[in-house]
Order: sequence, then structure tokens, then C-alpha cells
Amino acid sequence: MKKALLKDAFKEIKTTYKRFISILCMALLGVGFFAGLRATSPDMVDTIDKYYKEQNVYDIQIMSTLGLTDDDIKALQEIENVDKVYGTYSEDVLINIDNKEYVSKIMSLEEVNKPVVTEGKLPENKNECLVEKSFLGATNKKIGDEIIVEPNEENELLQETKLKITGVADSPVYISRERGNTDLGAGAIDNYIYVNKENIDSEIYTEIYVTLKDGDKYETSSNKYEDYVEETKTKIEEIKEERENARYDEVIGTANEELEKAEKEFNKQKEDGETQISDAEEEIEKAKKEIEDNEKELESKEQTANNEFSIAEKKLKNAKNEISENEKELEETIEKTESQIEEIEKKRQELVENLDTVKTSLKTLNASYDEILKKLEDENLTDEEKEALNTKKEELEKQISALEATKKELTSGIKAIEEQVNSADSKLKSAKKEIEKAKKEVNKQEKQLATTKSTTYSQINSAKEKIEDAKKELEEGEKELTTKKKEFETKIADAEKELIDAKEDVEDIENPEWYILDRNQNTGYASYIQDTESINNLSIVFPIVFFAIAALVSLTSMTRMVEEERQELGTLKALGYNKFHIMLKYLIYSSLATIIGGVIGIFIGIQLIPRIILDMYGMMYTLPEPVIGLNSDNSMLGLTLIYICIVGATIYAIIKELHEKPANLLRPKAPKIGKRVLLERITPIWKRLNFSRKVTVRNIFRYKKRVLMTIIGICGCTALILTGFGLKDSISEILPNQYEKVFNYDFQVTLKDSLDNEQREEFITDLENKEGINKAVETYMSSATASKDDLEEDVQIVVPNSNEELKEVIKFYDVKTDEDIDLKTDEVILSDKLAELLNVEEGETIKLDGIGDSIQEVKVSNITENYISHYVYMSKELYTKLYDEEYKPNVLLVEDDNLTKEQEEKITSELLDSGKVSGVSLNKTIMTTLDETLSSLNYVVVILIVSAGLLAFVVLYNLANVNISERIRELATIKVLGFYDKEVYNYISRETVLLTIIGIALGLVAGYFLNYYIIRTCEINMLRFAKVINPLSYLYAILITVAFTLIVNVITYFALKKIDMISSLKSVE
Amino acid sequence: MAYIEFKNVCKDYIMGEVTIHALMNTNLSIEKGELVVVVGPSGAGKTTALNILGGMDTVTRGKVVVDGKEISRLKNRDLIKYRREDIGFVFQFYNLVQNLTALENVELATQICKKSLNPSEVLDKVGLSERKNNFPSQLSGGEQQRVAIARAIAKNPKLLLCDEPTGALDYKTGKQILKLLQDTARKENMTVIIITHNAAIAPMADKIIKFKNGTAEDIIINENPMPIEEIEW
Repeated sequence: MKKALLKDAFKEIKTTYKRFISILCMALLGVGFFAGLRATSPDMVDTIDKYYKEQNVYDIQIMSTLGLTDDDIKALQEIENVDKVYGTYSEDVLINIDNKEYVSKIMSLEEVNKPVVTEGKLPENKNECLVEKSFLGATNKKIGDEIIVEPNEENELLQETKLKITGVADSPVYISRERGNTDLGAGAIDNYIYVNKENIDSEIYTEIYVTLKDGDKYETSSNKYEDYVEETKTKIEEIKEERENARYDEVIGTANEELEKAEKEFNKQKEDGETQISDAEEEIEKAKKEIEDNEKELESKEQTANNEFSIAEKKLKNAKNEISENEKELEETIEKTESQIEEIEKKRQELVENLDTVKTSLKTLNASYDEILKKLEDENLTDEEKEALNTKKEELEKQISALEATKKELTSGIKAIEEQVNSADSKLKSAKKEIEKAKKEVNKQEKQLATTKSTTYSQINSAKEKIEDAKKELEEGEKELTTKKKEFETKIADAEKELIDAKEDVEDIENPEWYILDRNQNTGYASYIQDTESINNLSIVFPIVFFAIAALVSLTSMTRMVEEERQELGTLKALGYNKFHIMLKYLIYSSLATIIGGVIGIFIGIQLIPRIILDMYGMMYTLPEPVIGLNSDNSMLGLTLIYICIVGATIYAIIKELHEKPANLLRPKAPKIGKRVLLERITPIWKRLNFSRKVTVRNIFRYKKRVLMTIIGICGCTALILTGFGLKDSISEILPNQYEKVFNYDFQVTLKDSLDNEQREEFITDLENKEGINKAVETYMSSATASKDDLEEDVQIVVPNSNEELKEVIKFYDVKTDEDIDLKTDEVILSDKLAELLNVEEGETIKLDGIGDSIQEVKVSNITENYISHYVYMSKELYTKLYDEEYKPNVLLVEDDNLTKEQEEKITSELLDSGKVSGVSLNKTIMTTLDETLSSLNYVVVILIVSAGLLAFVVLYNLANVNISERIRELATIKVLGFYDKEVYNYISRETVLLTIIGIALGLVAGYFLNYYIIRTCEINMLRFAKVINPLSYLYAILITVAFTLIVNVITYFALKKIDMISSLKSVE
Repeated sequence: MAYIEFKNVCKDYIMGEVTIHALMNTNLSIEKGELVVVVGPSGAGKTTALNILGGMDTVTRGKVVVDGKEISRLKNRDLIKYRREDIGFVFQFYNLVQNLTALENVELATQICKKSLNPSEVLDKVGLSERKNNFPSQLSGGEQQRVAIARAIAKNPKLLLCDEPTGALDYKTGKQILKLLQDTARKENMTVIIITHNAAIAPMADKIIKFKNGTAEDIIINENPMPIEEIEW
């Protein structure tokens, strides 16, 4: 007999397959969604857990301000739970490619945090490296190309700076796009590069990574894992101080050693220098003395020479005098002689003149004689004449001979005189000769003296010169010595100062601080884990909606089924079957539907949903293939829940029926009693409704349960869709709200600490004079912790130089009233998410810790709109009052003239080049990066819409079916009455339309709140999602819901058309 | 030609591999204004014939003509129009819309019909003046059937087809209903066809059609129909 029941159950499935499938679908959707969504978060964790285990990612990371040593590694190794300790190296470097500068983080390839090589191969040599994929994209480099790491002043970590790219790798410690900050370039690290360990030139580790014993046993981010890590961290904390001190001592020790060495060296050099100087001085003294001695000697020599010369000169003078006397004598003699000669000469002259006269007379006589002779020769001459002539002749001859005799006399007289003169002359001549000789002798002596003198004096002079030279040399030597001395002194002073500085430096070496971090401080990992938590939160809310609806719909379906078979129940009861046996058929029916649907749902859900969501996150994180687990706990939980819902609903429906007596059961159930509705009492409205409207209104109030179900279904659908769009709206509003509405500046310039007030002023003026820059507002910014009671948040304190100026670049809007707020001089303004997290209201006080040395309480005057990060705005007056420090602006908020990103980047690099700036961050860059991340949220919207659509479809279809089957007689009747198909459809659909409208209206309200709830659940601490839903989103939600309703209505239309009047009316109900 | 004519009408129902011949070569004719009682055992084809006549079912073969219109050849939409304008149906289980009052149930029919009668007046006619605003659940079986009849005749149809109108009613009430039908046929000169198990009421009819084995085996014309009050069973 049980067999008959089983057979009946299967037959039932066959005949009412539509109902069976619809229950199956509800179970499928409910369980699928639940299991899938619930599985997503664990799958996400599994994915990263597997990845981290495979790549041997650290559990604890230790960094120190003074680096880490092998001793630290040894000490850590001793700690319980610690499995392996790895010392690793890293450094931020600049790489210049095609005139573009990239900031890279160089990391050593280790056995810990192993990168996944996606292309190419691991570096084998010193001069090879791995880069990340985006690096190749940005630089147009290929595997095999070379890159050159720019030399770094501070620290040369690499031996080889020319690196060949051997492959592309993903780092497990950088799963998000965030690469961290640096003081190089534009302040943010662009990419990472892995190099071989051999290429590292350092003994001090940059960081130590620790893996834990049995770390494999725990799943990352699980409570057990966190506890285990925390426990080990506490143990490491215990040795922290000791190791810090050891490192301090070591650093101080080597520093002091070096210092001592330097001091020794310094002292030695100082001594050496000093002896050298004194030696030189001595030498100079000696030289001086020598010169003096020489000088003296020379002087005495000169004296003697002078004396000697003067004696010789005297002698010579005497000789000269003698000669000159002799000469005088001689001259006198000469003079005498000469006068004698003159006299003689005179006589001679007379004689000569007489002679001449004689001679002339003789000549005339001779001429006259010759004429007489001639005339005598003449024949014509008379003898008288001849005689006259001859007488004359004879007379002449006589005269001539007289004259001749006189002549002879005269000539001999002359001769005698001449002889006299000659002898006198020769006498004179010999005297002269003698004097000449004497003179010559004197001259010779004189000359000799002169030469002796000149040689002597030249000797003396040269000696003198030598002494002068020596003196000059000495002087120069002295000069050199003084300069050398000066030099030495300054050098020594410098060296001393250096030494003192070095000493001070050593004194300044602070105790190193260890930072003991775990995975949660890794930005990428932490945000991923936070995302898994958001998904987890979502996976609680959404399935509830689905479950509730699935349960309600199944309840309606099953109730209807039981009602339809009421007579069968009665028959069985009358035949004596017990409740369980009667129930069995329905239990089998509903269980089968639920389990088949649920199991299919599980398999689809846990495969599809995590994959879609993980794919979506794949855009934000670099992760390996998702790990899709069975997550049997959640799957079974989902199946159990839906089983309880559906089968529970079935049991409830049957038990309700079975309460009645078999006889009653055999009779048809009294149809639902028609009733007047409240609206009918309001005659003015009721009267206005036409007949069919009235029928609709009545029907709606008649089938309350189904109406409710329909409304809930449509409401849920609309709400889910609205939530999807709303979520997108809220998130996409964050950026414009923060960077356009609240922050009106374009970039933020962080100044170097070393700048003094004057330099800063100068810098600001320069900056403001740049083309395109409107203004730069000075502020002081500092990280701090704000707390109230036991709530605590990290915040950014902003202290403007001028409250008025700040208002131009940061707008304060009161969260409640949306009105402009002023920063008061003695109270602070909080950003709203912070106020919410700290549970602070206006007028209450909060504690600020982290600025200066003191913890201060401040009163909150207002709470301002803000979307990203937490801010506390404080006036300069309050700051100086609270903290005993000089107000010194360190951040400039710069507004420009709508510059393009390229222009701003150019200014950024100019500013960085100035050396006065430690970082520049462009709001545009922040916006683009965030925007990319947020755009992937479109997938969420798609998932929500698809699931909402499925839900709406199944619910509406199911309810339409129930509606038709429940009212089939009524529908058959009106068909018999001659209603056209369309009229029949309208008769039903008017209700559906009305319910849809109500459902949508409620759905919009519910969606608003669901969106609000989801936003609050997913919201990250640092972000405030805008509580806005775009009007368009409402429209989309409405349209999409209407579209789904229409599809179901079309199906209903055909179902209605197919109703068989005869069989519907024939059956006795 | 008669007002209503069945000519060699066959109706087969195919149930899986079995074919059931519900009607086999049925021939009958009814004149306008006649009160016809159709009798016969279960499964003899009475209801099938009535459904075909009422436009709720189609013939497999043969020809059905009503008032010169060959309804066996009408397409779906015309068939609905035929039901809407020419036919009034009364069922054993009244088939009132539970959610509508007596008056509204009548209005449900009249609002789609051009030549309809005033619903309120019709209800007065069937003796339900006091019950117009009651819901079916507040009415007795007889009253409900009166509403059903009112709904059928308010359309002012050519034919009033009643399938076991008294089947669920007690003797007295059944008699009242039959009287109402007889009166309607007489006063309104409406063609009324009543299907019944109860052969005893056959004398009230102008024409008695006996069905057996899927065909109208016997058609008896009653020259002197008796008022229903005089018939006892």
C-alpha cells in the first residue's frame, strides 16, 4: 500500500511537472545563491591562502630603522613557532627609460615571497632581473632588453646596475595595484623588480621575513591563524628590545671604534704637522743666523779690502804727483827750449828772407844779363852799343858774383841755426820720453789697482748678492711656513669639527626601532581580506531575501497543491491512513523538488558566483586562478534551510487540512467567501470605479496571501535592482564628491622638513608665480590618532595657516544641514565618517594623540561632509595653544587653472627637481586610479540585476500559475460567458498590474533601505559612500521590473488561453 | 430548416491511445421557443451535445446550425462571440463568481453584451429583489441557481442551456428552478434546453430528446406539456 502511495507521488510529479519545476527552481535559486555567495568569501580566502602557501609568503615581517643582521636572524630562529627566518634586501631606485623616470622597488629573490614567473625565466646571473608585467607595458621594453638603475647617493645596494630582463613575474606581496610610497621621484613606487641575491652588496638586511611552524595548517586571515601570528608576534616583541639594543650597541660600537680611530689619526696628524712646522721654523732660524754670520764676515772683508786699496791708491797718487812735477819741469824746459828755438828760428827766418831777396835780385840780374846777351848776339848792333852793353855786362857779372857770395854766406848761416834747433829738439824729446815712461808705469799700476779693486768688490758684491738671495729665500720660506701653518691650522680645525660632528652624530644615533608587522599591514592583502569580509556580509543579507521569497512562494504552491487534492486526503484519511502516510506523498514531492533543485543550485552556485565575483576582483588584484571549493558546510546549510522552508511549508499546509474530519475533507472546500472591502464604504471612490476595476479591487483583498507574495516578489526584485544601481551610484559619487565638491585644490605639495621660513616663503612665491597656478594654501598636516572612550581611529590633522585661505580649497558642509561651516578658533571640525566611527556628536570632545608630546582633548564644533579618509581640522590658534610647538606649515594645497594632467605632471617634476619638496600628489592621478578600481563594480550591478530578474521571474511565474489554478472555475465561467481572450487576460492582469505597481513602489522604498544597508555593510572604514541614488537608477529599476513582469504576463496570457472550460467546470470542487 | 439542427455530428476524444466516441452521428432539430429536456444515462453524450451547441466545444465531424449560422465551422474568436451574444448557460454548480454580489454576477455577463437586459430587473424577475447585494456564500443553493439563471438570461440569449440545473438542489427548490425555466421559456419565448437525469420532469418539455450510447436515440414531441407544479417525482 505504501508502494501505491509512492507511485502516486511520482505520478503527481509527472502530471504537475510545472509546479514541481517551479518549486525546484525556487530551491535552485535560493540554495544556489546562498551557497554561491556564501562560498565566495571562503573561495577568495582559499585562493589567496593557496597562493600564499605556494609562494611561501611570510607570516611576520620585521623591519628596523637601523637594518637587521644575522644575529637578529639567529635570535628570531630561537623563538618558538618560528619556522624559517629570511633576511632580504630591498631598495627604491630610479630607472630612466626614454627620458621618463620610473620609481622601482628592487627586491632580492629569496625563498620567501617567491614571485610567480609568468613569462620568461628566473634570473641566473648577477646582471639579470625580473620585472612586472605593467613595467613592460609602460616602458615598451621586452624580455631580453636591458635597463639601467640610476646610481643612488645614499646606498648602493646593487653591484650590477645594468640589468637584463629575463622574465615577467607577479609578486605575492603586491597583489593590488598599490606599490607603496617612497621619497624618490613623484613619491609613489611605480613597479617592482626582482634581482638575484648575488647582485646585492650589503651585509645589513632591509627586512626579515618569518614563516611559522605548521603555518600550513591554518588558513590565512582565519581567527586561528591571526591568533597564532599574534601569539608569535608577542614572543618576538619580547626579544625586540634586546635586539634593538644589540643593534644599537653594534652600530654605536662600530661608530665609536671608527671615531676613536679617526681621533687617533687626527691626533697623530696634528702632532706630525706640528713637529713639521717647528722643524721648519728651526731651520729658518738657523738659516737666518748663517746669513747674519756671512754678512758680518763679508763686512770685515770689505773693510780690509777698502783699507788696502786706499793705501795703494795713496801710493799711486804720490807717484802721479811726482810724474806731474817732472812733467812740469819738463814743460818748463820745453818752453825754454822752444823759445830759444823760436829765436833761432827768427834769425833763420831773417836769413831766409835775405836769401830770398838775394835770390830775387840774382834772378833779375840774371834776366838782365840774359837780355844783354841776347842783344849782343844781334848783328845790327853797333859796336858802341856793343861796348855799352859789354860794359853793362861786365858790371852785371860783377854784381852777380857779389850776390852769389852773399848767398853762400846766408845758406851756411841757416844751416848752423837748423843744427842748433835739432839738437835742442832731441834733448826735449828724450826728456819727454822719460816722463812718458814714468807715466806709463803709473798708469799700469793704476790699472792693476783698478782690476784688483773691481775683482775684490765684485767678489764682495756677489757674496752680498748671495746673502740677499739667501735672505729672500728665507723670507719666502718664512711666508710659506706661515701659509702652511695657517693651512694646517684650518685643516686641523676642520678635522676637529668633523670629529666633533661625527661624535655628535654617533650620539644622535637613536635606539633603533623594530617594526613587527604581519600580512594585515600589507596593503594589497589587507584590502583583499577586507573585500572578502564585505562579500561575506553581503552573502548574509542577499540570500535572506531569496530564502524568504523562496519559502513564501513554495508555501503558496504547496498549500495550493494540498488544497487541490483535498478530497484525496479525505479519502485516504477515511481509509484509515495515518497522517504520516498521507503526508508522505507530499513530502516526497516537495523533498524531491527541493533536493534536486538545491543540489543543482549548489553546483551551479558555487561554481558560477564565486567565479564571477573573483573575476571581478581579478581586475583589482593580481591573483592566480580562483580556487573553487565545495564549501560543503555552507552548501548543506543552504540546502537544509531551504528544505526546512519548503518541506516545512508543505507539512504545515497538510496538517492544516488534516485537522478537518474526513467527511468534511471529502466535500469540496468552501470557496473563499466574497466580502465587501473597505473601499466600498467610501462611496465616492467606489462609485467612480468601473465594474472590472471593482472586481479587481475585490479580488486583491480576497487572495491576500497570494497578493502579498506577489507584492513581496516584485518588491524584492525592484529592491535588488535598485540596490545594484544605487550601489554603483553611491560608489561612483565618492570621487567627484571628495575631489570636486569637498577638495577644491588640484594637488598637494609636501615640503621638506629642512626648509626654513624664508625658504618656504620664497618657494611659495615661486610656485604661485608659475604659469597656471592660482594659489597655494599653507597648512600643517600630521597623522594622529583620534579617540573617544574606547573607540580609536587614525586621522589626518589639518591646521591651516589661515582659516579663510583654507576655505577656498577645502569646503566644509555640515552633514545634516548641508550649510557652509566656519572653522572656529578654539574648536575642531571632524569629517563625518570619523564622527560616526567614534560615535561623536557636535559639542562633544575627542582626544587627539600623536601630535607633539601630549594627548589633548578638543571640542568638536561641527561635522563636515567627507568621503575619503578621516580629517580633523584645527585652527592655528588652537594648535599653538595646545601644543608647545612653533607652527610650521609642511603641506601646500595648490589650486591651478584647470591644467591638464600632463601640465600638472610637468609642474610636479619641476617641483621635485627643486629639492625643496618631498612629495607631490595630484588629485587627478588619485582619481584615475580609484576610478579604474571602482568601475569594476558594474559587475555587481549585473549580478544583482540578473539574480533579481531570475527571482522576479520565478516568483511571478509561480504565483501566476497558482492564481490561475486557484481561480480556474471563475476563469472558465467568464470564458463561457463569452469573454474574449484579451478580456480574460485583463480580468487577471489588472490585478497583476496593480500589484506590480504596489510592489515596485514598495520595492523602491525597500531598495533605498537595502542599498543603505548594503552600503553600510560594504563600506570600508576609510570611505564614506555617498547616500545617493540617481533618479535614473529608480527609473531603471522600475523599467527592468516591468520588463520581467511583462514576460511573465505574456506567459500567463497563453496559459489563460489554454484553459479548458469544459473540464474546469465539470469537475466538482 | 429547424432553428437548431444537428446533422451527423460526431465528437471523438482522444485520450492517449484510446479514442472515445462521445457522439456518433447525432441528428436532432429544435424549434425556436421550444423547451427541450434532454435525458439519458451518464456518458450518453448529453453534455457533449450541449457543450457543442453552447460553443464550448467543437465537433469532430458533422454540422451544427443555430438560427441559420453554422456554428460547427466557427473559428475560436467567432465562437466566443457566439457564446457571448447568443448563449446563456446554467450549470449544476451555479459557477457564480464568489467575490461578486448577486447583482454583480449578473452584471459580469451583461457588461459584455450589447442587447442585454437590466440586471436588476432580471433579478427581480427571478425573485431575488431582496438579495441583490448578497454574495453567493450568503445565498442558499436555490438562490444561487436563480442568480445563475438571471445571469444567463440577462444576456438576452437565443438559447438558454442548462446542464443539470437542479442536480445539487432539494426537491422543492429544484421544482422552483424548473418553474422559473419553464416560465422563462414561455414568457420570453426563449429556446431552453435542460439536461437532466431525472426523466420524471420530461412531461414539462415541448420536446424530449433521449440520449443513449452517444446519440439522440429518441426524440419525442410532447403536444401537451404539463406545468411543472403538476409534476411529482
